[in-house]
Amino acid sequence: MPRPQSARRPSRLTGVLAALVLTAGSPTAAALRTAPVVTAQDPAPRVNPDAKAIAEFQKEVAEYVDLHRRLASTLPGLAKNASPAAVFEYQQTLGRLIQQARKDEGVGHVFTRAARPVLRRLLYGLFTGPNGSRLRDAVMEENPGETVKLVVNGRYPDTFPLSSVPPQILKALPPLPAEIEYRFIQTSLILLDLDAHIIVDYLTGAVPR
Amino acid sequence: MGSRRPLALFIGLAAWLGVVSTAGPLTTEAERQQTAPAVELPNRPGSLKFAVIGDFGNGSRQQTEVGALMARLRARFAFEFVITVGDNIYGGDRPQDMRRKFELPYKALLDSGVKFYASLGNHDDRAQARYSLFNMDGRTYYTFKPPTGDVRFFALETDYLNAPQVAWIEKALASANERWKIPYFHHPLYSSGKRHGSHQDLADVLEPLFLEAGVSVVFAGHDHFYERTKPQKGIVHFVIGSGGQLRKNGIDRRTGLTAVGFDTDQAFLVAEIDGDQLYFNAISRLGTVIDSGVIERRKPE
Repeated sequence: MPRPQSARRPSRLTGVLAALVLTAGSPTAAALRTAPVVTAQDPAPRVNPDAKAIAEFQKEVAEYVDLHRRLASTLPGLAKNASPAAVFEYQQTLGRLIQQARKDEGVGHVFTRAARPVLRRLLYGLFTGPNGSRLRDAVMEENPGETVKLVVNGRYPDTFPLSSVPPQILKALPPLPAEIEYRFIQTSLILLDLDAHIIVDYLTGAVPR
Repeated sequence: MGSRRPLALFIGLAAWLGVVSTAGPLTTEAERQQTAPAVELPNRPGSLKFAVIGDFGNGSRQQTEVGALMARLRARFAFEFVITVGDNIYGGDRPQDMRRKFELPYKALLDSGVKFYASLGNHDDRAQARYSLFNMDGRTYYTFKPPTGDVRFFALETDYLNAPQVAWIEKALASANERWKIPYFHHPLYSSGKRHGSHQDLADVLEPLFLEAGVSVVFAGHDHFYERTKPQKGIVHFVIGSGGQLRKNGIDRRTGLTAVGFDTDQAFLVAEIDGDQLYFNAISRLGTVIDSGVIERRKPE
Protein backbone atom coordinates (compact mmCIF):
# COMPACT_ATOMS: atom_id res chain seq x y z
CA MET A 1 0.00 0.00 0.00
CA PRO A 2 1.47 3.37 -0.91
CA ARG A 3 1.99 5.99 1.72
CA PRO A 4 -0.64 7.68 3.76
CA GLN A 5 -0.80 11.25 2.56
CA SER A 6 -0.24 12.58 6.00
CA ALA A 7 3.09 10.88 6.49
CA ARG A 8 6.47 12.37 5.88
CA ARG A 9 8.96 11.14 3.34
CA PRO A 10 12.45 11.97 4.44
CA SER A 11 15.12 11.51 1.84
CA ARG A 12 18.24 9.50 2.44
CA LEU A 13 20.18 12.62 3.26
CA THR A 14 17.62 13.95 5.67
CA GLY A 15 17.43 10.52 7.24
CA VAL A 16 21.12 10.57 7.98
CA LEU A 17 20.97 14.14 9.16
CA ALA A 18 18.04 13.30 11.36
CA ALA A 19 20.15 10.74 13.11
CA LEU A 20 22.72 13.39 13.85
CA VAL A 21 20.26 15.84 15.33
CA LEU A 22 17.94 13.40 17.03
CA THR A 23 14.94 14.69 18.79
CA ALA A 24 15.78 16.79 21.80
CA GLY A 25 15.01 15.02 25.01
CA SER A 26 15.56 11.50 23.75
CA PRO A 27 18.24 9.38 25.38
CA THR A 28 20.11 9.22 22.12
CA ALA A 29 20.00 12.97 21.82
CA ALA A 30 21.51 13.24 25.27
CA ALA A 31 24.34 11.03 24.17
CA LEU A 32 24.86 13.13 21.08
CA ARG A 33 25.01 16.34 23.04
CA THR A 34 28.10 15.04 24.78
CA ALA A 35 29.91 14.52 21.51
CA PRO A 36 33.28 16.28 21.47
CA VAL A 37 33.66 19.41 19.44
CA VAL A 38 35.56 18.77 16.26
CA THR A 39 37.67 21.55 14.89
CA ALA A 40 39.48 21.93 11.63
CA GLN A 41 42.77 21.60 13.47
CA ASP A 42 42.03 18.12 14.79
CA PRO A 43 44.10 15.63 12.86
CA ALA A 44 41.57 12.82 13.26
CA PRO A 45 38.07 14.08 14.06
CA ARG A 46 36.53 12.10 16.89
CA VAL A 47 32.98 10.93 16.40
CA ASN A 48 30.55 9.89 19.09
CA PRO A 49 30.28 6.16 18.49
CA ASP A 50 26.56 6.08 19.36
CA ALA A 51 25.79 8.81 16.88
CA LYS A 52 27.83 7.04 14.26
CA ALA A 53 25.98 3.79 14.91
CA ILE A 54 22.60 5.45 14.64
CA ALA A 55 23.65 7.23 11.46
CA GLU A 56 24.66 3.87 10.06
CA PHE A 57 21.26 2.44 10.96
CA GLN A 58 19.55 5.40 9.33
CA LYS A 59 21.62 4.88 6.21
CA GLU A 60 20.51 1.26 5.98
CA VAL A 61 16.90 2.32 6.52
CA ALA A 62 17.23 4.87 3.73
CA GLU A 63 18.71 2.28 1.40
CA TYR A 64 15.88 -0.10 2.14
CA VAL A 65 13.30 2.56 1.48
CA ASP A 66 15.04 3.49 -1.77
CA LEU A 67 14.69 -0.12 -2.83
CA HIS A 68 11.07 -0.19 -1.75
CA ARG A 69 10.26 2.94 -3.74
CA ARG A 70 12.16 1.75 -6.79
CA LEU A 71 10.28 -1.53 -6.83
CA ALA A 72 6.96 0.12 -6.08
CA SER A 73 7.45 2.44 -9.03
CA THR A 74 7.48 -0.58 -11.35
CA LEU A 75 3.95 -1.49 -10.30
CA PRO A 76 0.73 0.10 -11.48
CA GLY A 77 -0.21 2.84 -9.05
CA LEU A 78 -2.74 2.13 -6.37
CA ALA A 79 -5.58 4.58 -5.93
CA LYS A 80 -6.17 6.21 -2.58
CA ASN A 81 -9.51 4.50 -2.61
CA ALA A 82 -9.00 1.07 -4.06
CA SER A 83 -10.86 -2.19 -3.99
CA PRO A 84 -9.79 -4.81 -1.46
CA ALA A 85 -8.67 -7.01 -4.34
CA ALA A 86 -6.45 -4.28 -5.74
CA VAL A 87 -4.96 -3.51 -2.33
CA PHE A 88 -4.30 -7.18 -1.63
CA GLU A 89 -2.74 -7.76 -5.05
CA TYR A 90 -0.51 -4.73 -4.67
CA GLN A 91 0.66 -5.86 -1.26
CA GLN A 92 1.42 -9.37 -2.44
CA THR A 93 3.24 -8.26 -5.57
CA LEU A 94 5.37 -5.67 -3.83
CA GLY A 95 6.17 -8.17 -1.10
CA ARG A 96 7.39 -10.70 -3.66
CA LEU A 97 9.54 -8.12 -5.43
CA ILE A 98 11.17 -7.05 -2.20
CA GLN A 99 11.72 -10.64 -1.13
CA GLN A 100 13.43 -11.41 -4.44
CA ALA A 101 15.59 -8.33 -4.29
CA ARG A 102 16.62 -9.00 -0.70
CA LYS A 103 16.87 -12.76 -0.86
CA ASP A 104 20.44 -12.68 0.39
CA GLU A 105 19.79 -10.32 3.28
CA GLY A 106 19.68 -11.75 6.76
CA VAL A 107 18.97 -10.54 10.23
CA GLY A 108 21.04 -7.54 11.23
CA HIS A 109 21.28 -5.98 7.82
CA VAL A 110 19.38 -2.86 8.89
CA PHE A 111 19.78 -3.18 12.64
CA THR A 112 23.53 -3.20 12.16
CA ARG A 113 26.02 -4.68 14.57
CA ALA A 114 26.99 -1.22 15.80
CA ALA A 115 23.40 0.04 16.11
CA ARG A 116 22.04 -2.93 18.00
CA PRO A 117 23.64 -2.23 21.41
CA VAL A 118 22.84 1.48 21.13
CA LEU A 119 19.17 0.82 20.45
CA ARG A 120 18.95 -1.83 23.14
CA ARG A 121 20.48 0.58 25.64
CA LEU A 122 18.06 3.29 24.61
CA LEU A 123 15.07 1.00 25.02
CA TYR A 124 16.38 -0.40 28.28
CA GLY A 125 16.45 3.13 29.64
CA LEU A 126 12.85 3.67 28.68
CA PHE A 127 11.52 0.35 29.93
CA THR A 128 13.29 0.62 33.25
CA GLY A 129 12.63 4.34 33.69
CA PRO A 130 9.93 6.08 35.74
CA ASN A 131 7.12 5.06 33.35
CA GLY A 132 8.80 1.87 32.26
CA SER A 133 6.24 -0.60 33.50
CA ARG A 134 3.45 1.36 31.80
CA LEU A 135 5.35 1.40 28.53
CA ARG A 136 6.11 -2.26 28.85
CA ASP A 137 2.44 -3.06 29.48
CA ALA A 138 1.47 -1.10 26.39
CA VAL A 139 3.99 -2.89 24.22
CA MET A 140 3.15 -6.33 25.53
CA GLU A 141 -0.62 -5.83 25.32
CA GLU A 142 -1.84 -8.17 22.59
CA ASN A 143 1.76 -8.66 21.58
CA PRO A 144 1.66 -11.66 19.25
CA GLY A 145 4.41 -13.32 21.26
CA GLU A 146 6.49 -16.34 20.56
CA THR A 147 3.94 -17.93 18.27
CA VAL A 148 5.22 -15.66 15.50
CA LYS A 149 8.41 -16.91 13.90
CA LEU A 150 10.62 -13.98 13.07
CA VAL A 151 11.93 -14.20 9.52
CA VAL A 152 13.57 -11.37 7.63
CA ASN A 153 11.45 -10.67 4.52
CA GLY A 154 8.73 -12.93 5.96
CA ARG A 155 5.14 -11.79 5.88
CA TYR A 156 3.76 -10.44 9.14
CA PRO A 157 1.05 -12.95 9.99
CA ASP A 158 -2.41 -11.73 9.01
CA THR A 159 -4.08 -13.30 11.98
CA PHE A 160 -2.03 -11.53 14.62
CA PRO A 161 -2.67 -8.02 15.90
CA LEU A 162 0.05 -5.42 15.86
CA SER A 163 1.63 -4.41 19.11
CA SER A 164 1.02 -0.81 20.01
CA VAL A 165 4.08 1.40 20.17
CA PRO A 166 3.64 4.16 22.74
CA PRO A 167 4.39 7.72 21.62
CA GLN A 168 7.12 8.01 24.24
CA ILE A 169 9.03 5.16 22.59
CA LEU A 170 8.48 6.49 19.09
CA LYS A 171 9.78 9.85 20.18
CA ALA A 172 12.98 8.32 21.51
CA LEU A 173 13.77 6.00 18.61
CA PRO A 174 15.33 7.34 15.43
CA PRO A 175 12.58 8.55 13.13
CA LEU A 176 11.62 6.35 10.19
CA PRO A 177 10.34 7.11 6.71
CA ALA A 178 6.63 6.52 6.29
CA GLU A 179 7.10 3.22 4.47
CA ILE A 180 8.19 1.37 7.59
CA GLU A 181 7.23 1.27 11.24
CA TYR A 182 8.63 -0.02 14.49
CA ARG A 183 6.64 -2.80 16.12
CA PHE A 184 7.32 -5.34 18.80
CA ILE A 185 6.97 -9.08 18.64
CA GLN A 186 7.53 -10.61 22.04
CA THR A 187 10.71 -8.84 23.19
CA SER A 188 12.04 -8.10 19.71
CA LEU A 189 11.77 -4.79 17.94
CA ILE A 190 10.88 -5.24 14.28
CA LEU A 191 10.84 -3.00 11.25
CA LEU A 192 7.60 -3.58 9.39
CA ASP A 193 7.13 -2.63 5.75
CA LEU A 194 3.58 -1.33 5.67
CA ASP A 195 2.92 -1.65 1.96
CA ALA A 196 4.37 -5.11 1.58
CA HIS A 197 3.43 -6.27 5.08
CA ILE A 198 6.78 -7.93 5.57
CA ILE A 199 9.36 -7.89 8.34
CA VAL A 200 12.37 -5.93 7.13
CA ASP A 201 14.62 -6.77 10.06
CA TYR A 202 14.42 -7.41 13.76
CA LEU A 203 16.34 -6.71 16.94
CA THR A 204 16.15 -9.30 19.66
CA GLY A 205 16.33 -8.38 23.33
CA ALA A 206 14.72 -5.00 22.79
CA VAL A 207 12.40 -5.29 25.79
CA PRO A 208 14.17 -6.31 28.98
CA ARG A 209 12.64 -9.41 30.53
CA MET B 1 -23.32 16.73 31.66
CA GLY B 2 -26.85 15.91 32.51
CA SER B 3 -27.60 12.24 32.14
CA ARG B 4 -31.24 11.59 31.67
CA ARG B 5 -33.39 8.59 31.21
CA PRO B 6 -36.65 9.66 29.74
CA LEU B 7 -36.77 6.55 27.68
CA ALA B 8 -38.48 4.33 30.17
CA LEU B 9 -41.50 4.24 27.94
CA PHE B 10 -39.45 2.91 25.09
CA ILE B 11 -37.59 0.46 27.24
CA GLY B 12 -40.94 -0.65 28.58
CA LEU B 13 -42.06 -1.18 25.04
CA ALA B 14 -38.98 -3.24 24.40
CA ALA B 15 -39.73 -5.23 27.52
CA TRP B 16 -43.26 -5.76 26.30
CA LEU B 17 -41.80 -7.08 23.11
CA GLY B 18 -39.75 -9.45 25.21
CA VAL B 19 -36.36 -8.14 24.33
CA VAL B 20 -35.05 -6.63 27.54
CA SER B 21 -32.93 -9.66 28.30
CA THR B 22 -29.43 -8.61 27.45
CA ALA B 23 -27.76 -11.86 28.22
CA GLY B 24 -27.41 -12.61 24.55
CA PRO B 25 -29.74 -15.54 23.93
CA LEU B 26 -30.32 -16.62 20.39
CA THR B 27 -32.96 -14.50 18.76
CA THR B 28 -35.43 -15.82 16.28
CA GLU B 29 -35.95 -14.10 12.99
CA ALA B 30 -39.42 -13.12 14.13
CA GLU B 31 -38.02 -11.48 17.22
CA ARG B 32 -35.43 -9.65 15.22
CA GLN B 33 -38.06 -8.35 12.86
CA GLN B 34 -40.16 -6.88 15.61
CA THR B 35 -37.26 -5.47 17.55
CA ALA B 36 -37.04 -1.96 16.29
CA PRO B 37 -34.63 -0.28 18.70
CA ALA B 38 -36.01 2.39 20.92
CA VAL B 39 -34.80 5.84 20.08
CA GLU B 40 -36.15 9.13 21.24
CA LEU B 41 -33.42 11.77 21.31
CA PRO B 42 -34.67 15.07 19.99
CA ASN B 43 -34.51 13.53 16.48
CA ARG B 44 -34.90 17.01 15.06
CA PRO B 45 -34.77 17.90 11.39
CA GLY B 46 -31.49 19.53 10.43
CA SER B 47 -29.43 18.16 13.31
CA LEU B 48 -26.33 16.04 12.75
CA LYS B 49 -27.03 12.36 13.28
CA PHE B 50 -24.40 9.66 13.26
CA ALA B 51 -23.60 6.23 14.66
CA VAL B 52 -20.51 4.74 16.28
CA ILE B 53 -19.30 1.14 16.20
CA GLY B 54 -16.08 -0.53 17.26
CA ASP B 55 -14.35 -3.89 17.40
CA PHE B 56 -16.81 -5.39 15.01
CA GLY B 57 -15.24 -7.05 11.97
CA ASN B 58 -15.27 -10.70 12.92
CA GLY B 59 -17.99 -11.91 10.59
CA SER B 60 -20.03 -13.29 13.46
CA ARG B 61 -23.78 -13.69 13.66
CA GLN B 62 -23.81 -11.07 16.39
CA GLN B 63 -22.07 -8.56 14.16
CA THR B 64 -24.62 -9.16 11.44
CA GLU B 65 -27.45 -8.72 13.91
CA VAL B 66 -26.05 -5.41 15.09
CA GLY B 67 -25.71 -4.29 11.48
CA ALA B 68 -29.29 -5.25 10.72
CA LEU B 69 -30.53 -3.46 13.81
CA MET B 70 -28.68 -0.31 12.84
CA ALA B 71 -30.31 -0.41 9.43
CA ARG B 72 -33.77 -0.78 10.96
CA LEU B 73 -33.10 2.03 13.38
CA ARG B 74 -32.10 4.30 10.56
CA ALA B 75 -35.62 4.16 9.19
CA ARG B 76 -36.65 6.23 12.22
CA PHE B 77 -33.41 7.97 13.07
CA ALA B 78 -31.73 8.90 9.82
CA PHE B 79 -28.07 8.97 10.78
CA GLU B 80 -25.91 10.17 7.92
CA PHE B 81 -22.75 8.21 8.55
CA VAL B 82 -20.97 5.82 10.87
CA ILE B 83 -17.61 6.37 12.52
CA THR B 84 -15.64 3.30 13.51
CA VAL B 85 -13.27 3.17 16.47
CA GLY B 86 -11.07 0.44 15.08
CA ASP B 87 -10.61 -3.29 14.86
CA ASN B 88 -12.64 -3.10 11.71
CA ILE B 89 -11.44 -6.39 10.28
CA TYR B 90 -10.10 -9.21 12.41
CA GLY B 91 -7.76 -11.72 10.81
CA GLY B 92 -6.96 -11.40 7.13
CA ASP B 93 -7.86 -8.46 4.90
CA ARG B 94 -8.33 -10.39 1.70
CA PRO B 95 -11.24 -9.37 -0.52
CA GLN B 96 -13.39 -12.18 0.85
CA ASP B 97 -12.63 -11.00 4.38
CA MET B 98 -13.70 -7.46 3.62
CA ARG B 99 -16.91 -8.80 2.15
CA ARG B 100 -17.75 -11.21 4.96
CA LYS B 101 -16.68 -8.99 7.85
CA PHE B 102 -17.84 -5.63 6.56
CA GLU B 103 -19.76 -5.42 3.32
CA LEU B 104 -22.33 -8.09 4.11
CA PRO B 105 -23.08 -7.21 7.76
CA TYR B 106 -23.68 -3.57 6.81
CA LYS B 107 -25.08 -4.14 3.35
CA ALA B 108 -28.40 -2.47 4.07
CA LEU B 109 -26.65 0.63 5.40
CA LEU B 110 -24.15 0.75 2.55
CA ASP B 111 -26.89 0.25 -0.01
CA SER B 112 -28.81 3.15 1.43
CA GLY B 113 -25.82 5.46 1.05
CA VAL B 114 -24.50 5.51 4.62
CA LYS B 115 -20.79 6.29 4.66
CA PHE B 116 -18.35 4.78 7.10
CA TYR B 117 -15.39 6.82 8.32
CA ALA B 118 -12.94 4.38 9.85
CA SER B 119 -10.12 4.67 12.30
CA LEU B 120 -7.66 1.82 12.67
CA GLY B 121 -7.14 -0.53 15.60
CA ASN B 122 -4.36 -2.92 16.45
CA HIS B 123 -6.04 -5.73 14.53
CA ASP B 124 -6.27 -3.67 11.35
CA ASP B 125 -3.84 -3.86 8.48
CA ARG B 126 -2.75 -0.33 7.56
CA ALA B 127 -3.77 -1.14 4.00
CA GLN B 128 -7.36 -0.59 5.14
CA ALA B 129 -6.62 3.11 4.73
CA ARG B 130 -6.90 2.44 0.98
CA TYR B 131 -10.20 0.63 1.22
CA SER B 132 -12.73 2.87 -0.47
CA LEU B 133 -15.65 2.02 1.81
CA PHE B 134 -13.69 3.25 4.84
CA ASN B 135 -13.33 6.73 3.30
CA MET B 136 -9.83 7.29 4.63
CA ASP B 137 -8.31 8.37 1.31
CA GLY B 138 -5.14 6.46 2.04
CA ARG B 139 -4.54 8.22 5.35
CA THR B 140 -4.28 6.52 8.70
CA TYR B 141 -5.22 9.73 10.49
CA TYR B 142 -7.40 12.45 9.07
CA THR B 143 -10.19 14.87 9.72
CA PHE B 144 -13.55 15.43 8.11
CA LYS B 145 -16.41 17.82 8.45
CA PRO B 146 -19.87 16.48 7.76
CA PRO B 147 -22.15 18.64 5.64
CA THR B 148 -24.56 19.09 8.54
CA GLY B 149 -23.75 20.79 11.80
CA ASP B 150 -20.91 22.83 13.21
CA VAL B 151 -18.84 19.74 13.86
CA ARG B 152 -15.46 18.33 12.88
CA PHE B 153 -14.27 14.78 13.47
CA PHE B 154 -10.65 13.69 13.94
CA ALA B 155 -9.70 10.07 13.31
CA LEU B 156 -6.43 9.09 14.96
CA GLU B 157 -4.23 6.02 14.74
CA THR B 158 -3.45 5.46 18.40
CA ASP B 159 -1.65 2.23 17.69
CA TYR B 160 1.22 4.27 16.35
CA LEU B 161 1.04 7.80 17.66
CA ASN B 162 4.29 9.07 16.20
CA ALA B 163 5.65 12.61 16.20
CA PRO B 164 4.21 13.65 12.81
CA GLN B 165 0.77 12.51 13.91
CA VAL B 166 0.99 14.34 17.22
CA ALA B 167 2.07 17.50 15.41
CA TRP B 168 -0.78 17.05 12.97
CA ILE B 169 -3.52 16.62 15.58
CA GLU B 170 -2.22 19.56 17.57
CA LYS B 171 -2.38 21.77 14.52
CA ALA B 172 -5.65 20.35 13.26
CA LEU B 173 -7.42 20.89 16.57
CA ALA B 174 -6.00 24.37 16.96
CA SER B 175 -7.02 25.45 13.48
CA ALA B 176 -10.51 23.94 13.54
CA ASN B 177 -13.18 26.59 13.89
CA GLU B 178 -16.09 24.25 14.45
CA ARG B 179 -17.86 24.39 17.77
CA TRP B 180 -17.72 20.63 18.20
CA LYS B 181 -14.40 18.86 17.81
CA ILE B 182 -14.76 15.12 18.17
CA PRO B 183 -11.71 12.84 18.21
CA TYR B 184 -12.19 9.15 17.74
CA PHE B 185 -9.68 6.31 17.77
CA HIS B 186 -9.08 2.83 19.02
CA HIS B 187 -7.31 2.84 22.39
CA PRO B 188 -9.33 4.47 25.15
CA LEU B 189 -7.64 7.08 27.29
CA TYR B 190 -10.01 6.01 30.04
CA SER B 191 -11.59 2.60 30.36
CA SER B 192 -12.57 0.22 33.11
CA GLY B 193 -11.58 -2.80 31.09
CA LYS B 194 -10.17 -5.68 33.04
CA ARG B 195 -8.26 -6.72 29.94
CA HIS B 196 -6.93 -3.40 28.62
CA GLY B 197 -8.14 -0.46 30.68
CA SER B 198 -6.96 3.14 30.44
CA HIS B 199 -4.01 4.09 28.25
CA GLN B 200 -2.13 6.62 30.28
CA ASP B 201 0.73 6.74 27.77
CA LEU B 202 -1.70 8.12 25.21
CA ALA B 203 -3.55 10.33 27.68
CA ASP B 204 -0.27 12.02 28.60
CA VAL B 205 0.07 13.18 25.01
CA LEU B 206 -3.50 13.65 23.79
CA GLU B 207 -5.48 14.82 26.78
CA PRO B 208 -3.77 18.22 27.11
CA LEU B 209 -4.47 18.86 23.44
CA PHE B 210 -8.11 17.88 23.83
CA LEU B 211 -8.54 20.07 26.88
CA GLU B 212 -7.02 23.06 25.21
CA ALA B 213 -9.16 22.62 22.11
CA GLY B 214 -12.40 22.38 24.06
CA VAL B 215 -13.12 18.77 23.20
CA SER B 216 -16.24 17.56 25.01
CA VAL B 217 -16.51 13.94 23.99
CA VAL B 218 -14.15 11.22 22.79
CA PHE B 219 -15.05 7.90 21.19
CA ALA B 220 -12.80 4.83 21.51
CA GLY B 221 -13.01 1.04 21.53
CA HIS B 222 -10.47 -1.75 22.18
CA ASP B 223 -12.14 -3.05 25.33
CA HIS B 224 -14.98 -5.26 24.19
CA PHE B 225 -17.93 -3.70 25.96
CA TYR B 226 -19.82 -0.43 26.21
CA GLU B 227 -18.83 2.16 28.76
CA ARG B 228 -19.49 5.83 29.29
CA THR B 229 -17.12 7.34 31.79
CA LYS B 230 -17.86 10.02 34.27
CA PRO B 231 -16.39 13.22 32.85
CA GLN B 232 -12.61 13.13 33.09
CA LYS B 233 -11.32 16.69 33.41
CA GLY B 234 -14.59 17.67 31.82
CA ILE B 235 -14.44 15.27 28.88
CA VAL B 236 -16.78 12.30 28.54
CA HIS B 237 -15.08 9.20 27.16
CA PHE B 238 -17.04 6.46 25.46
CA VAL B 239 -15.76 2.94 24.96
CA ILE B 240 -17.76 1.35 22.16
CA GLY B 241 -15.90 -1.87 21.60
CA SER B 242 -18.59 -4.47 21.22
CA GLY B 243 -19.88 -4.10 17.68
CA GLY B 244 -19.11 -7.75 17.02
CA GLN B 245 -16.70 -8.81 19.75
CA LEU B 246 -17.77 -9.10 23.37
CA ARG B 247 -15.96 -9.65 26.64
CA LYS B 248 -18.67 -10.59 29.08
CA ASN B 249 -18.17 -9.14 32.53
CA GLY B 250 -15.17 -7.29 31.18
CA ILE B 251 -15.81 -4.12 33.15
CA ASP B 252 -13.99 -3.62 36.41
CA ARG B 253 -16.62 -1.81 38.47
CA ARG B 254 -14.07 -0.70 41.03
CA THR B 255 -12.26 1.83 38.86
CA GLY B 256 -14.64 4.63 39.74
CA LEU B 257 -14.60 5.72 36.11
CA THR B 258 -17.88 4.23 35.00
CA ALA B 259 -21.01 6.28 34.63
CA VAL B 260 -22.75 3.49 32.73
CA GLY B 261 -21.30 0.19 31.61
CA PHE B 262 -22.73 -2.71 29.66
CA ASP B 263 -20.79 -5.91 29.13
CA THR B 264 -23.32 -8.64 28.57
CA ASP B 265 -24.10 -8.20 24.88
CA GLN B 266 -22.95 -6.41 21.74
CA ALA B 267 -23.83 -2.74 21.40
CA PHE B 268 -23.48 0.37 19.26
CA LEU B 269 -24.21 4.04 19.74
CA VAL B 270 -26.20 6.65 17.89
CA ALA B 271 -25.74 10.34 18.51
CA GLU B 272 -27.27 13.62 17.50
CA ILE B 273 -25.74 17.06 17.73
CA ASP B 274 -28.13 19.93 17.90
CA GLY B 275 -26.59 23.25 18.87
CA ASP B 276 -24.54 22.85 22.01
CA GLN B 277 -26.02 19.49 22.94
CA LEU B 278 -24.96 16.02 21.94
CA TYR B 279 -27.69 13.46 22.56
CA PHE B 280 -26.86 9.79 22.56
CA ASN B 281 -28.43 6.38 22.82
CA ALA B 282 -26.38 3.25 23.32
CA ILE B 283 -28.31 0.28 22.04
CA SER B 284 -27.74 -3.40 22.58
CA ARG B 285 -27.84 -6.06 19.88
CA LEU B 286 -31.35 -6.90 20.97
CA GLY B 287 -32.59 -3.35 20.71
CA THR B 288 -32.53 -2.32 24.32
CA VAL B 289 -31.46 1.20 25.14
CA ILE B 290 -28.69 0.60 27.63
CA ASP B 291 -27.67 4.21 28.09
CA SER B 292 -28.89 7.59 26.98
CA GLY B 293 -28.24 11.19 27.83
CA VAL B 294 -27.13 14.57 26.66
CA ILE B 295 -23.67 16.13 26.80
CA GLU B 296 -23.26 19.87 26.89
CA ARG B 297 -20.47 21.27 24.76
CA ARG B 298 -17.45 22.43 26.72
CA LYS B 299 -15.91 25.76 25.96
CA PRO B 300 -12.17 25.83 25.15
CA GLU B 301 -9.89 26.49 28.11
